[in-house]
Amino acid sequence: MADAALFIADLALGLLLGCVFAVVAHGLNLIWGVAKVVNVAHGEFIMLAAYGAYFLNVSLGFNPLLSVPIDAAIGLAAGLGFYFGFLHRELRGKESMGLQSEMVTLVATFGLSLVLINTAQTLWTVTVVGIPWSPGVLVLGSIELPLGGLYVAILSVAIIALSHVVLSKTYLGNAIRAYSQDIPATQLVGISPTFIAAIGTALGFCITMAGGALLTVGFPTGIYPAMGNRYAPISFVIVVLGGPGKMWGSLVGGLILGVIINVGQLFVGSLSLAYAIAFLTLIPVLLLRPEGILR
Amino acid sequence: MRLPSIRSFGPTVWGIGLFLILLAGSAPRIPVFLLTLIIGLLIWATLAYSLNLITGLTGYVSFGHVVFMALGGYALAYGVGTLNLPPVAGVALGAVVGAALALGIGLLTLRFRGVYFAIATLVIAIAALYIVLEVKELGDGQGLYLNVGFQPLAMFYTIWVILAVEIGLTYIITHGRIGYGLRSIKSDEDAANTLGINAPRLKLFVYTLSGLFAGAAGGVYAWNVSGAFPYQAFDLGFSLQMLAMIVIGGMGTLLGPLIGTVAVYLPSQIFLTIPVLSGLQAIVIGVVVVVIALFVPGGIVGTLQKYIPEFRGILE
Repeated sequence: MADAALFIADLALGLLLGCVFAVVAHGLNLIWGVAKVVNVAHGEFIMLAAYGAYFLNVSLGFNPLLSVPIDAAIGLAAGLGFYFGFLHRELRGKESMGLQSEMVTLVATFGLSLVLINTAQTLWTVTVVGIPWSPGVLVLGSIELPLGGLYVAILSVAIIALSHVVLSKTYLGNAIRAYSQDIPATQLVGISPTFIAAIGTALGFCITMAGGALLTVGFPTGIYPAMGNRYAPISFVIVVLGGPGKMWGSLVGGLILGVIINVGQLFVGSLSLAYAIAFLTLIPVLLLRPEGILR
Repeated sequence: MRLPSIRSFGPTVWGIGLFLILLAGSAPRIPVFLLTLIIGLLIWATLAYSLNLITGLTGYVSFGHVVFMALGGYALAYGVGTLNLPPVAGVALGAVVGAALALGIGLLTLRFRGVYFAIATLVIAIAALYIVLEVKELGDGQGLYLNVGFQPLAMFYTIWVILAVEIGLTYIITHGRIGYGLRSIKSDEDAANTLGINAPRLKLFVYTLSGLFAGAAGGVYAWNVSGAFPYQAFDLGFSLQMLAMIVIGGMGTLLGPLIGTVAVYLPSQIFLTIPVLSGLQAIVIGVVVVVIALFVPGGIVGTLQKYIPEFRGILE
């Protein structure tokens, strides 16, 4: 009976964790869907957002939820910079990414990721830091849920839902979706492809960095320069699980991965093996359902 | 397979050959600190040529090459430390482990193209680290220490032979039917398949070969640093450094990886000796990779070929 309670608690925690993973991966998903580019430095922007939340906490006493909008604004700026620095030359005037352009962006963003990690190590050392903020626990029968995690999960789902509304109900969102489906047709109806690609990338970064701030709450994650090495693969797997460009795919993928990691840890008895299993689910998914598990 | 005749060797082949023979001849007379530097250079050249085989020749970007290097190193540390093999046999074991691993990973992942292959290799490399951390035989996350002493000459000749064989094989592959097949895969894989080129088999062949040499180089690396330690061995910075070398030197060329290795390795060693700059080494390499990848796609060799017509016949 105790085991069943432990299992349910882990399942619930896994679902909460999955929501945050989902929002972090959602940013990558948007960039992947719109610009058809995989940002290998994705994890490093999560790391920067987490440090942003940390420094806001240390200097101004902000709790991580308050730093979400600030990190998101920084993300918008970072996304615009990223688009014009890395993608514009490869995307401009093209209807689709060739293998050559794909290789260029992969190698360049991989370089960027190492630059960011090492710069962070030089500036902030490799010490693991964290934000001491905990609003208490919610007791449901025999299960205790951290309230911080609950707030974060609610906020995460809200962010994903908001992005969904923006993408499906507004003119800008429709333009972004049109661009991701057919670039020449988008141009024919008078939409500037550069503007849309830049805005789409910036929105992706905005969501990613908001997720980075959310990640610092309540979960035993820790903030350190190489933390991206954990969250980037998680995001890749989530996006592939849900299907690149499918907006609810990130949420489904995130929940699955959160459960695999938390419940897997209970079964295999070690966190790093649980992570390894979660990462390696990428291979069977790519082999069996390369378009993602959602229809 | 028909071998290219000696007459067809261009100046590049003679140049690389002369460089290697001069190194081998003078090795016993070189002071030890310089020899250590050269051993490091040869290890990295082997890794760069190894990545060149798959990424340079077929265009499949492998971010996870460090996994072959790391497990090759673990194979040597385990073989020498636990099975009491001589170090050279340990290197051979590393090569076998690298090749077997590449064969397995390649069977699963080489059917993914472009981004998907790159991500799959990256994710596998990180998952491998998490698994190695939990394996008792491989030091349980602490790593394996070696106690064989420092044998610079033995190490030098081992890595020298590996590199010479690797460069020779690269030459034979690029100048034969396999090379044509690989080039056609790089420019258009579907068209290559239509022409009757067995793309999956060719890709698997070069990927396995690439894993073999990366495993061997990882073995010598572990021998050189006297052990294999998880966080150092699986450092993704190693993957970047290999990629940096072939991107800077010129992907898919015969001379490029060697030039790239010299251009990346020597400055980074100089950086390491200056305390203020030692943290900046990786940052500088990263910046250079970003700039070259975005603005100079051919690397050093490709750019020379493009702008100076006289070099086209000489460099390859």
